[in-house]
Amino acid sequence: MSTELCGANTPVREPLKARTNLKKIRAIAAEIIRVFAVLWAILREIFDESAYRRFLVRHKLTSSPAAYGEFVRETEISKARRPRCC
Amino acid sequence: MKTVRVLIWLGVAALGAYGLALIALARGEERPTVMWFVIAAVCFYAVGYRFYSRLIANRVLELDDSHPTPAVRLNNGRDYVPTARWVTFGHHFAAIAGPGPLVGPVLAAQFGYLPSVLWIVIGAVLGGCVQDFVILGYSVRRDGRSLGKMARDEIGPVGGFTALAGVLLIMIIIIAVLGLVVVNAMKDSIWATSTVAATVPIAMFVGIYMTHLRPGRVLEASIVGVVLVILAVIGGRYVAGFSFGQWFEMDAPHLALWIIGYGFLASVLPIWLLLAPRDYLSAFIKIGTIVALAIGIIATHPPTLMPALTRFTDGTGPIFGGKVFPFAFITIACGAISGFHALISSGTTPKMIEKERDVRMVGYGAMAMESFVAIMALIAAITLKPGVYFAINAPAGVVGQDAAACAKISSWDFPVNLREMQALAAEVGEKTLFSRTGGAPSLAVGMAQIFASSLGGRAVIALWYHFAIMFEALFILTVLDAGTRVGRFMVQELGGRVWKPFGRTGWMPSILVSSAIIVGMWGYFLYQGVVDPLGGINSLWPLFGISNQLLAAVALVVATTILLKMGRTRWIWVTLLPMTWLVIITMTASYQKIFDANPRIGFLAHARQLASAGADPRLIFNDRLDATVAGGLVVLVAVVLIESALEWARVLSGRKAAAVRESPFVMTKLALEEQS
Repeated sequence: MSTELCGANTPVREPLKARTNLKKIRAIAAEIIRVFAVLWAILREIFDESAYRRFLVRHKLTSSPAAYGEFVRETEISKARRPRCC
Repeated sequence: MKTVRVLIWLGVAALGAYGLALIALARGEERPTVMWFVIAAVCFYAVGYRFYSRLIANRVLELDDSHPTPAVRLNNGRDYVPTARWVTFGHHFAAIAGPGPLVGPVLAAQFGYLPSVLWIVIGAVLGGCVQDFVILGYSVRRDGRSLGKMARDEIGPVGGFTALAGVLLIMIIIIAVLGLVVVNAMKDSIWATSTVAATVPIAMFVGIYMTHLRPGRVLEASIVGVVLVILAVIGGRYVAGFSFGQWFEMDAPHLALWIIGYGFLASVLPIWLLLAPRDYLSAFIKIGTIVALAIGIIATHPPTLMPALTRFTDGTGPIFGGKVFPFAFITIACGAISGFHALISSGTTPKMIEKERDVRMVGYGAMAMESFVAIMALIAAITLKPGVYFAINAPAGVVGQDAAACAKISSWDFPVNLREMQALAAEVGEKTLFSRTGGAPSLAVGMAQIFASSLGGRAVIALWYHFAIMFEALFILTVLDAGTRVGRFMVQELGGRVWKPFGRTGWMPSILVSSAIIVGMWGYFLYQGVVDPLGGINSLWPLFGISNQLLAAVALVVATTILLKMGRTRWIWVTLLPMTWLVIITMTASYQKIFDANPRIGFLAHARQLASAGADPRLIFNDRLDATVAGGLVVLVAVVLIESALEWARVLSGRKAAAVRESPFVMTKLALEEQS
């Protein structure tokens, strides 16, 4: 859209540009947040926090030493039989 | 748009080829900067992933997202959980990344950088990534079955049993050799030993923190643990100043006994107290250090000091005996192809795959990343002055001590002097760096130089060196803990077939006896390595390489059998070529390790040499035992190969119906909805 079409006293280029920039910044920020969310999810999976969360949901429990102890017992066999690569 | 994509990929391929040509053709003092190693490797992985893995996904495995994965069909929120592909990728990479790709390339650098870089990059793109990818794909199609079970289903009961027996033997050798690496890194060093010793109570504290103080807060507990470990590294410098500091000054045999005792304890103690928290701590430090090393290499891009090829390609190398073929290919296992990965690819990972096409990124992609870790370890080794590299890694039994070692190494045109080595040792806070065999100390020196160049300068190089030693030891002790416990379960299972109560995994007498058996087995090999006048690595690392590559050959035999049974004979070369190569290198290496007339290579020749010199009968027995183990491994794999070949002949001649044991196809809910 040109400024001439909108009239000489109503310049729309600058606000439009600013809005476009803002949109771009938001998109970049959203992308960065998404990347960090994925990294966070990876860490929670590696460190078994997600598995514990699933355990609590499955057994309808809230987090406590007893619940965690139960989770450890449940996952003990599969964890103990999992070799670590050389 | 398509033209642009084609041009971009042509550019990537050309850049990779140019980089590799530059690396391969450099001679004399004109050596390429390490950035070319990074660029060439990344370009090759990218092209391999984009084109070769796509071909395998579409033509060989025929991955199809409408085919529901076991994680979706059998989702129980516990073992089978559909997981986003990046999360599965991270989880899988954390499981396959171990100390192997760090140590192997450092040892193989004695041949120069060229054989290592070619094998790491080409071996991974055409072999290692393919193995991980196809085994993961086939396991996903079989409800996440293990490699042993797939071998039994597709080849036969003998193949299945042989694969299991092979895994147990391999585990024993792996733990022994990695134990030896850690002993050689810590011997006679109060700082290193006290730091690594501190990780045991720190891991226990983390275990108590995440279980009792803040239940389930594993990440938080691990961060606390990492802070404590870093404080232990910093504090380790001052331990020698206290009277108790002398407790940590140990020679190699004493350290080996402590490691053996620790292994027994780790196998007997509850998982939450030591094994699990150490695993979490190790994962945290592993991820952080690998990322930091990549940033450090790119930021500092140190010059390459090692030549492309050294005189030791002829088999006279001081670190281990044997020619570049086949020994470069078995010394570097995990960075190029590792049979152990097949256990992970047919273990937890297939039960997490959400969509079939994710197998490509997780299986092929994670191995490419692991291979890049090996490239970084190689860079850390080849940026060391070659004289220093050989002085650290060559055993005293080969090059002599101090000044004699310097004279010998300098006579090979790798100049090094005593003052230089003493200054370097003082700089990193060690009494001596001579004959610190095993690869870990030289890797630590290389890493410390890269880290110090990026952050803190030479003033903090000692801290970085001990951080690197702690990082490697933590890695290795995690493998040792987990491997001992897995081995213990195997022994209990086998014993349970003879006497039922022994098979009860929670019964304390059975736990104690089975732990003692498994620890006794790897402990024996560890101790023999420690007292070996040639440094132990010369005999144990090739055994480890042979066993790991033989397991990879078994995995590729299973994959080839499945391909044949699926009627995809046209694509059989995808697994058959790397399998054939592995069989050639492992069989050649095994033959040479057993029968070669050179005592530095052949176990039997060395035993004869010791016998004629009237040496300790125990050393002679050790050589004969190593020869028997190498022979045993060859027999195990030969049995699998013969049984497979017979099965292939039966299928190809039409004498047997080509039936594979895939789980039946069930369309996903999504595909059903789309169709309706």
